[in-house]
Amino acid sequence: MASAKEIQNRIKSIQDTMKITRAMYMMSSMKLRRAKQKLEDTEPYFFGLQKQIANILYHFPDIKHIFFDNREKDMLEVVKRKAFIVITSDKGMAGAYNHNMFKATEELCSQAQDYKLFVVGEIGRHYFRMKNLPVVDDFNFSAINPSIHRARVITERIVELYKNEELDEVYLVYTKMVNSMKEEVMIDRLLPLKTHSFIEQELLEEAKKKRGNIVGDVNEQFGDKSYDDESSSYDFDYNSSADIDYLIYPSPKKILKKLVYNYMTGFVYGALVEANASEENARMMAMQAATDNASAMLHDLSIQYNRVRQAAITQEITEVIGGAKALKKKKKKQRR
Amino acid sequence: MSTFNLKIIACDRVFYDGECKMIIFPAYDGEMAVMAHHEQMTASVEIGEIKYKLVDDTWHSAVVSDGLITVDNNTVTLLVYSCEKPEEIDEFRARAAMERAQEQLSAKQSIMEYHVSRASLSRAMARLKEAGKYTAK
Repeated sequence: MASAKEIQNRIKSIQDTMKITRAMYMMSSMKLRRAKQKLEDTEPYFFGLQKQIANILYHFPDIKHIFFDNREKDMLEVVKRKAFIVITSDKGMAGAYNHNMFKATEELCSQAQDYKLFVVGEIGRHYFRMKNLPVVDDFNFSAINPSIHRARVITERIVELYKNEELDEVYLVYTKMVNSMKEEVMIDRLLPLKTHSFIEQELLEEAKKKRGNIVGDVNEQFGDKSYDDESSSYDFDYNSSADIDYLIYPSPKKILKKLVYNYMTGFVYGALVEANASEENARMMAMQAATDNASAMLHDLSIQYNRVRQAAITQEITEVIGGAKALKKKKKKQRR
Repeated sequence: MSTFNLKIIACDRVFYDGECKMIIFPAYDGEMAVMAHHEQMTASVEIGEIKYKLVDDTWHSAVVSDGLITVDNNTVTLLVYSCEKPEEIDEFRARAAMERAQEQLSAKQSIMEYHVSRASLSRAMARLKEAGKYTAK
């Protein structure tokens, strides 16, 4: 058994660690609150953008553009060059946050043939480089304090590569906070954009899931027509009078270009903020667990310490008594 | 004079949401104005100054960075990266940003970096212009 002094040292060091974990917990909870606020602030903008893009696609359903994957050239490509933008954290101590990210990304990589990794966050960069995955070198962005400027620079970079046809598909891999206990790795396609028919299909599937009550809404939104025959889904858009009256200034192409930049930036920003919130949440939980573990250890150690101390006292008393007894016996012998 | 619903949404907040009589914004090739019952439209908004007239006939102005404006069903939605009132602009920060952008522009750089710094330069200049007007009054 360890001596009382050793146990005391151990207790002290655990107490110090606990102080740190508790402080980190507080800091994370504060940062989490700020990130959540940021997320809330950016939501109206983001939803507005999505609405606008849906609107344009609704009025110009068969627009052919590099931002959509519907050009003849795109159909002929066999291997799609993919880019994964992976958002990890700058430092560890966030539980399984980074590991979940690595797992999801590695799975994606094993399915893709030709791909590049654009990694945000120091931890991810180190990990993927160690694994010899194709990490893009001069893509150094930090994950803390996401700003719209950073999102804009990332977007500019990615769209440039995409327009030069160095990339065919761009995916964003980030963590989403479902609630304070649950986090989920999200994989979203940024480019090429989803075309009108695709969005329609998605809406329909969602409506089917919810069954009934939403179907009416979807039909209303897209001009009350049954979607069972896919071939007809394009025609009615062209015949509808909305198109002729709809004014796009200066031109659909220009608007689309702008919209794509804004949408991407908005999306990247949203993902950065969401990931930041998840990271802080994961760290908060990890630190909470660490603090709990430390107090459990302290509890055990203090029992052990008391036992050792008690044992020492008992032994001392026994020794004293033993000594006294021996002395008594000696005296008795001498008297005889 | 009839009114319409105006929503100005920046990426970090809802700047304005309410009734409005007229809005003037910098479009692709000059200024454009939208009044009540405008036809359906989507237009691009350039970096610059917007002016809008509220129900009490007062004019308000703000600096916007680029975005889009949508008119639909007597509702006007203006989606921009940032939107600030002139009195909110930090002149020192804007000036610093302008100088930084100018410096970056003069340095040798890639096309992509050129785009980014040119955009930040025009944003900074729009801010400074607006802030200058406000302090001159």
